[in-house]
Amino acid sequence: MVDVSTPTKWALRILALGYIFFLVAWPVALVVRETFSDGLTTLTDALSDDQVTGALQLTLMIAVWAVVINLVFGVSISLLLVRYEFPGKRVLSALIDLPLSVSPVVVGLALLLVYNGRSGWFGPGIESTGYRVIFDSPGMIMATCFVALPLIIREVVPVLHEIGDDQEQAARSLGANAPQTFWRITLPSIKWAVVYGVVLSLARSLGEFGAVKIVSGNITGRTQTATLVVEAKYQNFQQSEAYATSFLLIFVSIACLIVVAFLRPKNEA
Amino acid sequence: MSIDITGLNKTFGDFVALDDVNVSLPTGQLTALLGPSGGGKSTLLRIIAGLDTADSGTVSIEGVDATKLPPQKRNVGFVFQHYAVFKHMTVAKNVAFGLEIRKRPKEEIAARVDELLKLVHLSQFSHRLPSQLSGGQRQRMALARALAVEPTVLLLDEPFGALDAKVRKELREWLRRLHDEVAVTTVFVTHDQEEALEVADEIVVINEGRVEQVGSPDELYDQPANDFVMSFLGEVTTLGGASLRPHDIEVATAPHSAGAVEGSISRMLRIGFEVRLTVLTVDGDEVAVVLTRTHARSLGLTEGATVWLTPANGATVIPSMRASLAG
Ligand SMILES: Nc1ncnc2c1ncn2[C@@H]1O[C@H](COP(=O)(O)OP(=O)(O)O)[C@@H](O)[C@H]1O
Ligand SMILES: [Mg+2]
Repeated sequence: MVDVSTPTKWALRILALGYIFFLVAWPVALVVRETFSDGLTTLTDALSDDQVTGALQLTLMIAVWAVVINLVFGVSISLLLVRYEFPGKRVLSALIDLPLSVSPVVVGLALLLVYNGRSGWFGPGIESTGYRVIFDSPGMIMATCFVALPLIIREVVPVLHEIGDDQEQAARSLGANAPQTFWRITLPSIKWAVVYGVVLSLARSLGEFGAVKIVSGNITGRTQTATLVVEAKYQNFQQSEAYATSFLLIFVSIACLIVVAFLRPKNEA
Repeated sequence: MSIDITGLNKTFGDFVALDDVNVSLPTGQLTALLGPSGGGKSTLLRIIAGLDTADSGTVSIEGVDATKLPPQKRNVGFVFQHYAVFKHMTVAKNVAFGLEIRKRPKEEIAARVDELLKLVHLSQFSHRLPSQLSGGQRQRMALARALAVEPTVLLLDEPFGALDAKVRKELREWLRRLHDEVAVTTVFVTHDQEEALEVADEIVVINEGRVEQVGSPDELYDQPANDFVMSFLGEVTTLGGASLRPHDIEVATAPHSAGAVEGSISRMLRIGFEVRLTVLTVDGDEVAVVLTRTHARSLGLTEGATVWLTPANGATVIPSMRASLAG
């Protein structure tokens, strides 16, 4: 460690704490205070509003689907990127980071262009089979998958690099085929990275707003997720319900982070 | 023959790692693949195990053409230089892995694991994780794990390369005894000629992707096929246009025999029981000579003294190819 003089140390601490306080802690605390300003009534009122509970259920359903899909694809793509050589690998790797840099609103618009039922590339074809993508759950799940895609991959790839393929080769030489090697050797070694990626994805999926707003059509009672309800309630001057719903979203996110902090063993990165 | 390799070629990009390798490795013996690092030994071993594929050529194991078989169908045991232990499993689970994959009954697995851990002296560590073992213990566990599946051949890639000198020496003696006990066809890679000479029944010398010579340790040492093999197996010096070992040169203080090369001692170094001389000949060559301390004292050698050098009777002498190699 570099020796830092005591005044500098204190200055840095105050700077960091102040920054976090004004940017994160205080605003979040205010939302919590607003929620509980008249005891539990705001929260119970919100939870007895069908618009809110319906949105919460929809949000949960979409987030779980998106996480499951991203889990399967995320782990497969990570393996592909680390363990195999193929043409176009760098392009794939760069594309995976795209959702981090592109605004979710743009993502929503792009999906709308491809899958809408009237003029999209695939939309009319899919709708003729009786499914609807845009203004319905499939489109919302797709949008959520898109924005959360890099989270699992970026957790798993470095760990795969670090463990190398020695253990996998040893397993093969001992008679294990590819699936057995994956389930018995690879997965246990990347377990914590996967758990961490899943929790981050879940938190991200629950909070997605922009992309979902565009592809869902924001139809009250049908395709309105929790974040969309927060916006709608706020604009309708039903602030207290907006705060209560926000509080629930914050609560779940913090719960996710706490679960991870407890789950992840200290010595395993 | 247990392993037959014919016409094997392997390139990485435009780098030739193996160049038309043909070799047969005998059943039940301990064979060393010996050569300088980067020579292609690991590549050859990995191709035998199916962990790498050759560009052309065939590999057959116990008469079965294995060229196209995936590693899990070859029934070979492989021991890696850096152990490749399963970090999340206990020692016992590591050893049991191959048997569990083969769906053997539980009691049979437990019994076999017990027996193998006894064989590698790790019985009291069966419930530990590999991270709680020393390097030598980890490698013995890896060996037990490879032996558990009763492989047709056991392949070891520089198994003791990552260990310190003392443990290394113990383990290679132990490997030799273990091989005599288990008698499975074993091939191990090493770049240490002492290790190969001490442990192996048969040595395959590999350099720059080619097999330089195959033979017993004695054959290789006494009749090296070329300069490379000779210099790789031990120290070499040149005397009168021929390569020979420094301890195979006789030193005289008077010109007794015809053809003796005259020179003066330019350096004299005493290391333990031996004395190392550098003799500057009248032709301008530097010759290294090794003799025992007692012998040196009985001849009364000192720096600057004039001596006459001749190859000892029965010495391995081959015409030096240095000049042709350089040209
Ligand atoms: N996967 C690989 N890609 C590129 N070059 C390789 C690869 N594996 C080995 N080589 C090269 O092939 C040569 C032989 O390697 P190796 O068989 O490991 O030698 P040894 O085991 O005798 O030290 C080395 O020059 C090494 O750099
Ligand atoms: Mg090697």
